[in-house]
Amino acid sequence: MPVTVETPTEKWAGKVREITLGATAAEGGTRTSTVTVGGEGTMPFLHFEGETPHRPVVAIEIYDIAPQDWSPILMDYWGDVVNDVVAWAKKAVELGADAIALTLRGAHPEVNDRSPEDSARVVKDVLAAVGVPLIVYGPGAPDKDNEVLVAVAEATAGERLALGLCEQNNYRTIAAACMGSGHIAVARAPIDVNIQKQLNILISDMGLPLDRILMDPTTGALGYGLEYTYSVMERLRLAALQGDAMTQQPMICTAGHEAWRAKESKVGEGVPEAWGDWKERGIAWETVTATSLIEAGADILVMRHPEAVAIVKKTIDQLVAK
Amino acid sequence: MALTGLQIYKLLPKTNCKECGVPTCLAFAMKLATKSAELSACPYVTEEAKNELEAASAPPVRLVSIGADGRKIEVGNETVLYRHDKTFYHQPGLVVRVKDTQSADEIKAVADAVCGYCVERVGLSLNVDGVAIENASGDTSAFAKAIEVVGSNANVALVLMSSVPATLDTVMPMVADRRPLLYAADAGNWQAMAEVARKYKSPLAVKVDCGDLSALATLTEDITKAGVTDLMLDPGTRSMVDSLQAMTKIRRLALRKNFRPLGFPMISFPGEGASSPLEEVAAASQHIAKYGGVIVLDHFDPTLIYPLLTLRQNIYTDPQKPIQVKPDVYPIHEPDANSPLLITTNFSLTYFTVAGEVEASGVPAWLLIADSEGLSVLTAWAAGKFDAEKIKKAVQTSGILDKIAHKRLIIPGYVAGMSGEIEEELPGWEIRVGPREAVDLSSYLKSLRS
Amino acid sequence: MSRRIAAAAIRGAHQVVAQAEQEIQAALEKFGPDKPVAFPSTGYYLPTVYGLTGHAIEKLSDVRVTLDHAKSLLAPEPSEALWLPYLGPALDAGMATLFAEELIEGVRSLNGGWPASTNNGAKYNGPIDDPQMRAWGIQLVDGRMPGFAAIVGTAKSNEVAVKIVRELQSRGILVLLASGSPERGKKTIVDQLMEEGVEMGYGTYIVPFGPDTISAVHALGFATRSAISFGGLKPGQGEDILLYNKYRVFAFVLALGEVDDIKYATAAGAVSYGFPVIADTNIPNIFPNGLTIYEAVVRMPFDDIPGADDLERAEKLVQRCIEVRGVKIRISKVPIPVSYGPAFEGERVRREQLRAEFGGRRSSCFEFLRMRDTSEIEDGKITLVGQDMDSVDQGGALDLGIVVEVAGRKMQTDFEPVLERHIHHFINGAEGVQHMGQRDIAWIRVANAAYDKGFRVKHLGEIIRARILSEFSAIVDKVQVTLYTEKDDVQEWIKVAREAFRERNERVASLTDDSVDVFYSCALCQSFAPNHICVVSPERLGLCGSENWLDCKAAYEIYPTGPNRPIEKKGLIDAEKGEWESINQFVYANTNQSVERVTMYSMMDAPMTSCGCFECIVMMIPEANGVMVVSREDPSMTPAGMTFSTLAGMAGGGVQAPGVMGIGKYFLGSRKFLATEGGLKRVVWMSSVLKESMQEELQAAAEREGIPDLLDKIADEGVATTVEELLPFLEEKGHPALTMDPLF
Repeated sequence: MPVTVETPTEKWAGKVREITLGATAAEGGTRTSTVTVGGEGTMPFLHFEGETPHRPVVAIEIYDIAPQDWSPILMDYWGDVVNDVVAWAKKAVELGADAIALTLRGAHPEVNDRSPEDSARVVKDVLAAVGVPLIVYGPGAPDKDNEVLVAVAEATAGERLALGLCEQNNYRTIAAACMGSGHIAVARAPIDVNIQKQLNILISDMGLPLDRILMDPTTGALGYGLEYTYSVMERLRLAALQGDAMTQQPMICTAGHEAWRAKESKVGEGVPEAWGDWKERGIAWETVTATSLIEAGADILVMRHPEAVAIVKKTIDQLVAK
Repeated sequence: MALTGLQIYKLLPKTNCKECGVPTCLAFAMKLATKSAELSACPYVTEEAKNELEAASAPPVRLVSIGADGRKIEVGNETVLYRHDKTFYHQPGLVVRVKDTQSADEIKAVADAVCGYCVERVGLSLNVDGVAIENASGDTSAFAKAIEVVGSNANVALVLMSSVPATLDTVMPMVADRRPLLYAADAGNWQAMAEVARKYKSPLAVKVDCGDLSALATLTEDITKAGVTDLMLDPGTRSMVDSLQAMTKIRRLALRKNFRPLGFPMISFPGEGASSPLEEVAAASQHIAKYGGVIVLDHFDPTLIYPLLTLRQNIYTDPQKPIQVKPDVYPIHEPDANSPLLITTNFSLTYFTVAGEVEASGVPAWLLIADSEGLSVLTAWAAGKFDAEKIKKAVQTSGILDKIAHKRLIIPGYVAGMSGEIEEELPGWEIRVGPREAVDLSSYLKSLRS
Repeated sequence: MSRRIAAAAIRGAHQVVAQAEQEIQAALEKFGPDKPVAFPSTGYYLPTVYGLTGHAIEKLSDVRVTLDHAKSLLAPEPSEALWLPYLGPALDAGMATLFAEELIEGVRSLNGGWPASTNNGAKYNGPIDDPQMRAWGIQLVDGRMPGFAAIVGTAKSNEVAVKIVRELQSRGILVLLASGSPERGKKTIVDQLMEEGVEMGYGTYIVPFGPDTISAVHALGFATRSAISFGGLKPGQGEDILLYNKYRVFAFVLALGEVDDIKYATAAGAVSYGFPVIADTNIPNIFPNGLTIYEAVVRMPFDDIPGADDLERAEKLVQRCIEVRGVKIRISKVPIPVSYGPAFEGERVRREQLRAEFGGRRSSCFEFLRMRDTSEIEDGKITLVGQDMDSVDQGGALDLGIVVEVAGRKMQTDFEPVLERHIHHFINGAEGVQHMGQRDIAWIRVANAAYDKGFRVKHLGEIIRARILSEFSAIVDKVQVTLYTEKDDVQEWIKVAREAFRERNERVASLTDDSVDVFYSCALCQSFAPNHICVVSPERLGLCGSENWLDCKAAYEIYPTGPNRPIEKKGLIDAEKGEWESINQFVYANTNQSVERVTMYSMMDAPMTSCGCFECIVMMIPEANGVMVVSREDPSMTPAGMTFSTLAGMAGGGVQAPGVMGIGKYFLGSRKFLATEGGLKRVVWMSSVLKESMQEELQAAAEREGIPDLLDKIADEGVATTVEELLPFLEEKGHPALTMDPLF
């Protein structure tokens, strides 16, 4: 007796908001390419159920100074370009970056304490060197983040950069800078659906339109809390599809930063033999972290190793194919 | 719809005989409701009640096991689509495929490696579960040889892959006691395959082409009627996106529609759609997250296996029972007797975050992990699992006293409120209050040094 | 709007428009129509005109359109006889005035421009340039700058002028200056500040625009540009720009001295931006009218302001401005001589370190917070009545009464206890100061080290004020603290406080579920129990025991986007079980659509779910036709055959399991506890720790049920840890549950 199976489709009331990073000359910026993410009307890649109008994208993360604490595997791969942010950015684009994520680490008071003006100049230099959109992170010290990102926002008004991080205890100044200069705010909550939602509301209440807020649910690397991020992302996506307007922001995940912080990618000696080859392991660690997050609904992956990027982009190719 | 404990209780004898090992019938009913007890433990339940209970409690995805003692793969019995809704219960088996066209040495090397692989992670040993042997040669004796090589030295679960029922029938006597999974019945061979499976009481995989779920359901209906009920499904999809959609549909139909013909665990082949080992890893990680039951890999390399095992452990962690790290002293950056001592709880995420930040600071330090039963700092504090007494106990019994020459303890900023109390519990100690958030640890530790 | 003001505004508008026409004519003759017209360093042309109308003025010939527009807005002055609505014409006049003023300033830029020096050395800045506008704009948006004050006129004296500006500066408010008032001497406020050596400029947040009222238009040009920059608005979206300013830019106009027609006309323009006008002379008040959030025009004749001297009057004038506009001031640092922060919260002050203590065994100490009307208290007034710690012997004790008075437009008496409870950790945050207890059993100890650094009694008041303003700014605008150390005062005040405490207790006791329309949700635990939500009602507190209905209500007022949200009680389904349609809908939508129904008062039918934080678990004992209640603090076996921790696995995680339920222990004494199943009478077993710690509440509930010896009939772990032991006990005591209706 032949059995007929009906496709089990869920009907969703909502979808993820579309956000475009970068502005071309016609739009008031200088980018030669822009990136649009979001718009999904289904749990990830269920094409029988709803559309996925834009593919997830990969941003490659670079620093404004040679990183002091990166895994030797990464440092060996990039080589000399880490000393020249412009060259580094160009190389990242050559290697397939859809966007550049520039961390202004040099502005950290405990690193080079680079001034806001000089930091803004670095961003301008990178903008001049590459045509893809930019995500710019402050140095990671709240007060300095604010100073630096305000200067960056001013100096790059109209470029539609993504600026981060807006966090629960420090979001107003960065959000205000985004409002004033036409940029996008990256709102990070500590792996918590309700705090994420609240932060989105608070930022939009200030007057930043919702199509200029990305959410960063906070990434846990493979083996270091990945499952928490994974589930929070699934919950955020479900809430978005169920029509909760304040969870419909596209998601950005710092897969590279977290995966390359793990002991597995950072340490080559004195580890169990069962861990296998160090270099390949680091790349695999980043790859699995990133692909798992894509399955959970990530829209932008911020990554570090181009070989992992290549695999992740191929994975995305496969997943968006209908 | 699962029955509540109360509904189950009504069907029990209500004698509190305790013979099931539980003190009261209500407690037993509640355990049945949470699937932490078996109805068969009750000697007095009536036939009528039994039927009613079993009908209601039959799992929407059948529990299927492969293998015997040694290593056993048990998959199915899942109840949710998203792990946050409850948990994923039975992690997928990871098996590595060899072909009977490979040399005996090659096959033996893989089998040995699979059998011997073990890696420790947050207190658990992670293993690879089995070997799949494919009759790629088409030759029965080559197949038998390969099975012998694997079977003789590997105490692992087996998948026997051949589309010829007679071939399987020939080789099965060698390993029937190990209850291998037979792969696979299809529209052309299913009667004979079912016969083999029934004969040896083996689980059987059922395969169709390109995600044709109607064909798959038709086949499982037929095979079930033929008396074989331990089935696994291969929807025949090989690209990542097709697999994702087919496997999601199958899981949804089973759970949401209680659709029995597809209420079985799945088998998948991530390597078949991939053009490099790393791509295979990417596909396999999808199958781990999205409903895979047995995942057949084409490569065995610790570098690639270790991340997959870790992912499997992550995804199959019960979201309501957080992973704990071992309460202990963890040295970071080779600390000495004067290095600072920090304490926090043994919730894995707390540990990872704190250890990560201390590591990033570059400051040598001792990290003392107290037993908070896996709760994070604030929750543990609120629940009395991370109080002054517990902290005192951790300091005094962890062995840290032999490692340091000072009496200064840094506590998490969120529990600043008990610094005075801790000072009373640990006379002579200076209790310092660290930052609330781990991200501020780096500057805090550096400021201690200057 | 007052007819007098409307008439004056319309007259003033006519004057300004006429002046603009004249000056434009002269400029056209002098420079020709193609002469470029622009303010320095701005991309917004003449910004008020450009923003509100979309018209970009680039050269002299472009001004005609705007001038004609301004003229078209001019109505005839309302006559004495005519009694018609004149709000519209007056506001139009205000707009016409702003446009004309900006045109005049535009022409002025051709004749010298800025900065313009005056004969006494002051430099008039003219319009704020774009970079500065953006820098301050960010601060206005992110809250570092609470707002700005546009001051027009002349203060009563130089001393008053300086005081006003300093008061504003100390709160981080930007000060913009223009114009003078001839009757207060031939000088402007800028001249007054100049004479007193006050530095003016971007660096000091004091910007002198110009000598006349016309230059005050730059304040609105600044507001207009920041709305376009930060509000995502386009030039020409006039209404949106005005609304943006009304709701987001906390600015006001302070008119010092006589308000002439042009000032009225300009003020009418400012009112359209939602900026209220406060005058220190006798002009008509205009009460809330929708244009501004609160009052539109407020008179506060300077000499009538109560106060010891002019300086105090100036202070109060500024305070009033802040209230009228609803400007929220933030205090970033607690002004005390010792370190302050959460790190010191757990510190203890031991006997050998003790400088002095208040309360404890040797003296009495209380703390009492109450709400007052905003006119009754003065923000920041910290008064010590009586001796300070200096007069106490080393290690000695002193009586202390802390009376905190707060006011705020959104403050409610119900929030008094919520705020008061925070005094404990506020004070504990000071290094070397320890606080214990609350209400009239407060106990504060100050260490020698803190005393040596200068910590004194009044600093307790400073701490309380700073923290309340920073944490509860949503509901509190003003905090005044009085500290009494004389025995008689303390005794007298303690009576007042105790009376209030008694009233509060009664209020809480009288709050019933039936008497309110709204319950509150609590989603605090969704981080680990995503499918659980608590519904908190006056008679059913949160299961963790730490959130009652009043707490949730206050939390919602303070953080409207936080975890507590109101749920209106609507669509009653079953009064006895406590089931409402609206609550079911809310719960369904907020539990990932996993819980479809919740009853408030039943444990057998759709009981409320639990996250896992419950203080107690209630579990059915079918053999006894009753329930048991086991406390988190009780490790023993229970008649249910499970200990608390095993039971917790069944009750938690947001799963609805009829027959088992997690609750807060105070729910046991509530009228609504198991109301459907018969209330406290159903309880056949209870952990002894609960019986002891809840003795009073349980006894009251037993008496309410008409069985005063009910507690004696309830078993505990000392009597029974199995059903077999339990039943004979119940029989012997004649427990009511045995004869009640079957539980299920």
